[in-house]
This record gives sequence, C-alpha cells and structure tokens, in this order.
Amino acid sequence: MTVSETSTASAGPARTAPAPIEGRSSGHAGRWRRRAELTLLIGPAALLFIGFVIVPMVVAVHYSVYRWSGFGPLTDKVGLHNYSYALHDPDFRASVLHNAIIVALSLLLQLPLSIALALLLNRRMHGRAALRLIVFAPYVMSEAITAVIWLLMLQPHGFVDQVLDVVGLGGWTHQWLADQHVVLYTIFVVATWKYIGFGIILLLAGLQGIAHELHEAAALDGASAWQVTRWITLPLLGPTIRIWIFLSVIGSLQLFDLVWIMTLGGPANASDTMSVYMIDHGFRRYEFGYGSAVAVILFLICFAFALVYQRFALRRDTEGAMTRAVG
Amino acid sequence: MSSTGAASPNWRRPLTTALAYAAAISIAAVTLVPLLFVFIGGFRTTPQINASPTGLPHPWVLDNYRAIVTSSLFWRFIVNSAVIAFLATAITVVFGAMAAFGLSRYAFRGREAIYAFFTIGLLFPLSVASLPLYLWLRDLGLLESRFGVILPEAAFSLSITIVILRPFMRDIPGELEDAALVDGSTRLGFFWRILLPLSLPAISTVAILAFVTSWNFFLLPLLVFNNQDHFTLPLGVAAFQTQYSQDTARVLAFSALSVLPTLVFFLAAERRIVGALGGAVKG
Amino acid sequence: MRRNRRWAAVAGLVASLSLVAACGSNGDDGSGGGSGSQNAGGAVTLTWWHNATADPGKSEWQKIADSYHAQHHNVSFTVDPIQNEQFNSKVPAALESSNPPDLFQQWGGGAEATQVQSGKLMDMTSQVSSWVNQLGPSAKGWQVDGKWYGIPYDYHIVGFWYRKDLFQQAGISSPPKTMSELDSDVSKLKAAGISPIAIGSKDRWPDAFYWEYFVLRECPQATIASSIAKQDFSDACFTKAGTDMSSFLKTNPFQSGFLGTPAQQGAGSSAGLVANGKAAMELQGDWEMAVMPSLATDKNFAQKMGWFPFPSVPGGSGDQGAGLGGGDGFSCTSQATSACPDFLKYITSTPVQKQLIKSLAVTLPSNPGANSAISIPTLKVVLKYLGGVSYNQLYFDQALPTNSGQALDSAVADYFAGKGSPSSIAASVAQGAGP
Repeated sequence: MTVSETSTASAGPARTAPAPIEGRSSGHAGRWRRRAELTLLIGPAALLFIGFVIVPMVVAVHYSVYRWSGFGPLTDKVGLHNYSYALHDPDFRASVLHNAIIVALSLLLQLPLSIALALLLNRRMHGRAALRLIVFAPYVMSEAITAVIWLLMLQPHGFVDQVLDVVGLGGWTHQWLADQHVVLYTIFVVATWKYIGFGIILLLAGLQGIAHELHEAAALDGASAWQVTRWITLPLLGPTIRIWIFLSVIGSLQLFDLVWIMTLGGPANASDTMSVYMIDHGFRRYEFGYGSAVAVILFLICFAFALVYQRFALRRDTEGAMTRAVG
Repeated sequence: MSSTGAASPNWRRPLTTALAYAAAISIAAVTLVPLLFVFIGGFRTTPQINASPTGLPHPWVLDNYRAIVTSSLFWRFIVNSAVIAFLATAITVVFGAMAAFGLSRYAFRGREAIYAFFTIGLLFPLSVASLPLYLWLRDLGLLESRFGVILPEAAFSLSITIVILRPFMRDIPGELEDAALVDGSTRLGFFWRILLPLSLPAISTVAILAFVTSWNFFLLPLLVFNNQDHFTLPLGVAAFQTQYSQDTARVLAFSALSVLPTLVFFLAAERRIVGALGGAVKG
Repeated sequence: MRRNRRWAAVAGLVASLSLVAACGSNGDDGSGGGSGSQNAGGAVTLTWWHNATADPGKSEWQKIADSYHAQHHNVSFTVDPIQNEQFNSKVPAALESSNPPDLFQQWGGGAEATQVQSGKLMDMTSQVSSWVNQLGPSAKGWQVDGKWYGIPYDYHIVGFWYRKDLFQQAGISSPPKTMSELDSDVSKLKAAGISPIAIGSKDRWPDAFYWEYFVLRECPQATIASSIAKQDFSDACFTKAGTDMSSFLKTNPFQSGFLGTPAQQGAGSSAGLVANGKAAMELQGDWEMAVMPSLATDKNFAQKMGWFPFPSVPGGSGDQGAGLGGGDGFSCTSQATSACPDFLKYITSTPVQKQLIKSLAVTLPSNPGANSAISIPTLKVVLKYLGGVSYNQLYFDQALPTNSGQALDSAVADYFAGKGSPSSIAASVAQGAGP
C-alpha cells in the first residue's frame, strides 16, 4: 500500500490510463465527485475482498497462537507452540513431502508428456477439433466427481484391474488405494488424467502463437526437425510453460478433493496432503487453533512460492502485477 | 537425429504423422474410457458390474437413470449448484468490473497499490483458507447459508476478474471516452453505456471462469453445509457415493448425470472456455 | 443407532460433513428456538435433536413423535435429525447458548459428565426412578453421580461375527474362546483357502476395537477408568495390550488390501465381505446385522451368521468377561417441561421398543421387555452375552475427549499399517501429546 502514483508508469508504456480528461470537471466539486465515483466503483469489491479473503487469514493468525477446540473462549494461549509442533510433527512433514512429490512428478512427467503430445498434435489432422474437446473434458469436471469415478474404478478386481488383465498387464495390478507405497502415485495418475488436457490445450495455444515462417526459415537453413523444436519452438513456448508450471504447482499444493474422497489421506497417512492434514486436525479432532496454524503455514508456503517464482521466472511474461503486490 | 538436411522430412513425415495419430488415439482412449465406464455402467445392474466391470449392459436397464431423474434430491443439488454459481458469478463480475473500471480509467494516488492488493488472491487458493474461513463464517452466522459459499467464492474470484478486465478496459481507446464526455455523458455513463458493452468478451471470459470454479467447488460447501437439502452437486455425488455405495450402478448413473451438465455447458462454450483459460493465464 | 454413528463416523465424506463442527455457536439454526415454550393452554413444543439422518431411524423417530403427540395433544415436536458427528460440537455450543434443544442424543460416559457441569441438563431422577430400573444395570452409564441425566434406548456391544458355513468348511467345530484358539482357527481358515478376518481399516475406528479389547483383557477395570479420566495410558498394561495385538497382527489374519477397505460401504467393505462369504469373521458391533442385509447378495445370509465374544487372553490381569460397547440415549435440558422425561418413558416402553426393533432402527433394546421382538437368532446370543458381561466398557474414543480419542484411533490405525509401536499407541493419548 505504499506504492505511490509513480507506479503508474510501470503499468506499461502507451497503455497508461487516459489522463487528459482530468481537467474537465474542475474545482472542488469535481474532485469530490471523482472521489465518490471511485469509492462507489472500488468500494464494494474492496469490502468483499477484505471481508472474505483478508480477514479470514488475519483471524487465522490470531487463533493460531491458542490451543482451542473451536468453541468457547480463547483462554489457552500457547504462543508459537502450534507452529513448532507442526514443523516437528512427522505426519505434517510427510504431508509436505507428499505435496512436494506430486509437484516433482508433475514437472518431471506431466510437463514433458504434455509438451510431447502438444508437439505431436500441432499439425493438421483429421478429428483435431474432436480431440481437443475430448482431452479437455476431464478438466471441466469437478474434482469430487472425478474422485468418485476413479474410486469405483480402482476397487480391487474392479474396472482398472480388469482392463489391465484384458490388455495382458494383469501382473501390474496393485492395491491401488490400499498399498502405502502405491497410493500416492495412484492419486498422481488420476490427477494427471484430469489435468493433462488443460496442459495440452494451453501448449497448443502457445504453439499456434509461434509464427510458422520461423520454422520454415530454419528448415531452409538445414535445421532438422529436432533442432527446430529444441532451439526455436521450445524457447518460444517458454512463457506458456512457465505459466503452466505456476498453475500446476499452486494446484498441487492445494490438492484435497481427490485425496479426501478416495483415501482420506490413508492408509497410515501415506496419501496425506497438507490440506487434508489441516482439515483432519481441524474438523475431526477439533484442534482449530492448531488447524489455523497449519493454514497460516500453508499460506506462507504458497505465498513464498508465488513470490519467488514471480521474481525469477514469470517476471518477463506477466505484467508483474503479483510481484508488485508484495514488492 | 544425425540425418539433417531439408530432405529428411520427406521420409519422416509419414512416420511422425502415424505417431501423431497413434498418440491422438491413445490419449482420446485414456480420456474417454473412464467416462464411458460411468455412462454405460449406469445402464447396467450392480450384479452385472460386480461380475464383470468391463462388460457391456446385458440387458440394458434404465432403472438407475430413471430413479435419479425422478428423485427430487438430484434436482435440488442441481438447483443449489446453479443458484450458488450464478450468484457468485454475478457478484464477482459486477463488483470486479466496477473495480476494474476504477482501476483502469482513473488516475489517482495509490491506484497500483490497490490493484496489487487485489492480486493477493491469486497467490493462494481458497482451499488453503478454508479452515479459517469456516471459523469466520461461523462468527458471521453464515454456516448452512448459501451466502456462506457465494460470498467467499465471489471474493476469491475477484482477483482473476480484475487482473483480466483491467488491461482490457485500459486498452479501450481514450478517444472513445473523450467523445462520450464531450457528448455530455458522465464517466459512469460512459462505463455503463460504452465500456461495458465493449468489454463483453472479457467479461464473458471471467464469468465463465467464475461459474465453472464455483460449480465444481467441493471443500467450502463441504464445510459450510450439513443439511443435505443444501448440498451442491459435487457434494451430493460424494454423499450419494457413501450412502449407496453397495449399489455401484446407481452411483455410476448418478455420477454420469452429474457430469452431464458440465459437459453440455462445456460443449456449448468450448471455444470460450479454452480461450478464457488461455487468456486468464496470460492476463 | 450407534450403527448410524459409525456409519457416518468415518465414512469419509460424511465424516467431514458432519464434522463440520460447531455450526452453532451463534445458535444459527432457528430450530433451537421455541424450546419448551409453554403457551397459555399448557401446550408445549419439544425441540428434539437426534442422529438418525437416514432411514429407518429418521422416519421411525418421526412416527414416534407423531404417535406421542396423538396421545398428548398439548405436546408437539420439532424434530431435527442432525449428522451424528456434529453432536460432539453442537451440543456443547448449544448448552452454552440460551437456546438449547429440549431433548438431544446422549451417549453417556465422560461427555455426559462434562455436559452436566454446564448446569443445563435436567436431573430427571425423581421423574424416572419409578420405571428406569427395568432398563437394567447397563443404564447406569447414563447416570452422573448417581443422578439420571440421560436415558438409553438401546445398547451396543462389539464382538466377532462369523460365518458358520466357512468355519465348518475349515474344520472348526466351535468358536474360539482364547486368543491361541483364535490364532489356530486363523491358520485353519487360511489352510482352507478362506480369508480369515475382514476389517475395514480405511475407516480407522474398526482397528481401535482390537486394541481396546486387548486393553480390557490386560488392564483391570479400575486402571482403565482412572487412565481414561487422567488421559494417561502410561500403565504398563497398555503397552502389554499393544504387544498382544502386535503378535496377533503377525499372524496376518486380515483380507488382502484391508488398509483400503471401508467398514460398511459396498460389497467390497468388510461387512460386505462377511455377508457374502468372502471372509469368515469380523470384529464389529451388533449393528452389523442391520448393515449387512443391503450388502448381501445371499438373502439367507443371516442364518449362516454366528457370534462369539472377544477371546480371553490367558494370564492377562484384565477382566476376561468384560465387553466393549456403549449405547444410545437422550438427555433433557433443564428448560424442558416434565413432558420430556415422560416422552423418554414412552420411548423406552415395551411397545415402542418393539416397534424400533422391527424397523431395524434399534438392534438391542434397552428395555428387555422388548427382547422377544428380536427375530434374528444370532442377536439373541449377543443379547444374552450382553446381559451377562461383568461390565460394558464405553468405546475409548467416546470416553476420551474428542481430540485424544481421534489421536488414539489414528495411532492404532497407523500401527495396523506398520507404523509406530505398542508404546507409541499408549503415548498418543497422553495429555499434551497432541498440539
């Protein structure tokens, strides 16, 4: 809130809001009128935003220093105990690790796969429009319904197992949701099913923005298809990829619906994510003070990631709005 | 990779094309098969499914779908979801458009700071704030109330709405505004009569984003609603699954019918949704 | 309706739905209003919170309210079915407010004692003393300091449900009486290619039954009572119980993939496995008989079911004849009129209890006069055992404060999944063990 008028300049040259009319309604009346208009325009949004985005986080910080079951007065002030408990709790650490694994798998598997598929599909093909529709459909479905569907399909001797049998991969069947060593990867696969279409569409849109002439020029210069891809296409796809990474990481950090419906974080917390941990402690154990502390930690993790990522990766691509939000 | 030269595509093209079709078909299959399992499963009976999960209906039964379509519960979930998504969208679009107008076409001290303030909502998702939000809604007496879901959803959607609308509104030429003012219009009149209609593409984009987000949201309604009569569709599906879990066919039919509105909406607005998401991330 | 509780309990989604704690610090539900308000004509409306959010219970309670109203025109009801897990949070909040319900679900034990401290519960001793004795000694679980603050309408007990046909197939002639007999029966069943015991570990609470029963066998009643009161399970017998459980788990008695199996949902749940003859035993409550019919493809499954109590642990210093269970009841609040205890008398009267049993809303009535209504032979065995237990220990997660109880359930579940140790289970309950 300390940024002053000067920052208008940073909003981008030649796109700055038109100022010439300022003088039109001159005098005190005009200034008051303008102020009233601005209040009327921005006030409702600001109130709503403060009331339901900012205040809850402030409230969380307040509750987080108490041991509190969720009702009655706040009497048991424990300072930073909740925070240190969370940071030392092996279950919480495990849930952070699980989120990190999902993020890493997304970057190492989902992203290359999306790029490869987008490159393959970026050509004139029969049924391309239909394909675009199909791969995108899971993305618009709710995660809860996705979870219910996959929960049914992943039952022992269920649909997935039988499909594997049919295609001769019967040996691959697992206790998809009951084996602690498998369950997290099962959830990752379901998440990939749901979200990969989004990545492909995004990347295809990015590819379409790359001028075709560039490719042709490179080909004339004797570059192989691989070289064109490596040295021209991928770098130009950079902004799209960086946006994908941002959305994917924020999405992975908030993973909840799939886990909650399919496994409740089990067995033995093997699929616990940070959000599941928070809800479990808050709403099942009535540790609302502690749950608030966990919420604050989650918020800080998201915030730190967004900030760092904006600073170092996204800076070139966006208007820098988010960076300035805190910078 | 070693073979370079402009000639290589001549023998390579058929290969890569074949590869592309293979990839296209397999990804379509992987995407579609689970959906087909759900839709077709709804036409089977639970014993049929238990006997062979991958089989086809034999005979086809309509009872599952019929039972759900004729149950008031299903329609109530749909209505609840629709009302909540519609109001959340309306609030976020109206408030967001007003704020974006103020932030794009007025020059004033602290404007960028206020804009930056609104973007904080992009940095963390609603799920992260759900527990404190729940406690806060309880203090406000908004639990079990539709507004307990609508207002937070609208508030969290404000960030993306403003981030998309502001540059759009800013890029509308200043001459238009000058002309309107010369014609005796007020600024608010300009906003209402000229800027808003011109911003419709961007507004429909943010409206779709807000609507889809709200329609699919699970965690907040989960925390806010206890009474099944208030459930939204995602909540309803999950509750139905726990309640009728012995009856797989019925759960499949219920899931299928719940997915249907989303898919129809998506088919109708596919270009805009895809464009919206593309636009949103580039905003 | 303990079954209902369990059903809702950790059934995942519903758990959380219900968990949705404390909707009520603001008394946001208008239903709390009008409590016990008396009009000029002596008419009274009782606000009734019960936990039967699904049928048969839901419509059964409504019917009972309607028929009571038909007999007492001045008494009407506002019936509010509330998700079970919410009671833990809603009731304390309502008791703090000026507008509690007149009549609400009560499981007795430590929670009831805490509620009494609010001063808002009606001491019904004088109104009920003439008839309450018919409910038997188990009803004492709803007494606090010798006074009646709650009345049970049914009882529960956990034991082994088993398939007589599968036992026979494995050459087991009679159900096991000691742990070593159980162990050998497990090997016999395995040898016959039968999955010995089904368990719904996804839901966590079924795991806790095992640990709690081993505790009953290893720890004297007084030790258990004082340990729960102090939330201190450091007595060596608790670790001993964990060690017993550990050796039992080493026999791998459960179905494959048990960690992901739900307790009551679907044919693949533990109840479904036993109902369909896919596993031979399950340690569960009496509500099992109400859960199974919807899961069984064999309509005659009930005749193949038998029941035996948790085996004894020779050498254990606990009570080898103690049971684990609880029951459901109702409490009245002090603002309610005498119509409230009179209504409880009606609920526990023989005809109403019989009606509850026939509709499967209740499996084991608190009024033994209704026992004859039980048609399932195996339930009569359970009933007989319940009548003869030396004491019926309330489930630990109910007896303990919520966060400790849930921490205990989680610790046991972790141990089933191979995490932790017998001593870490006992330590999970200690005050200050959690955040």
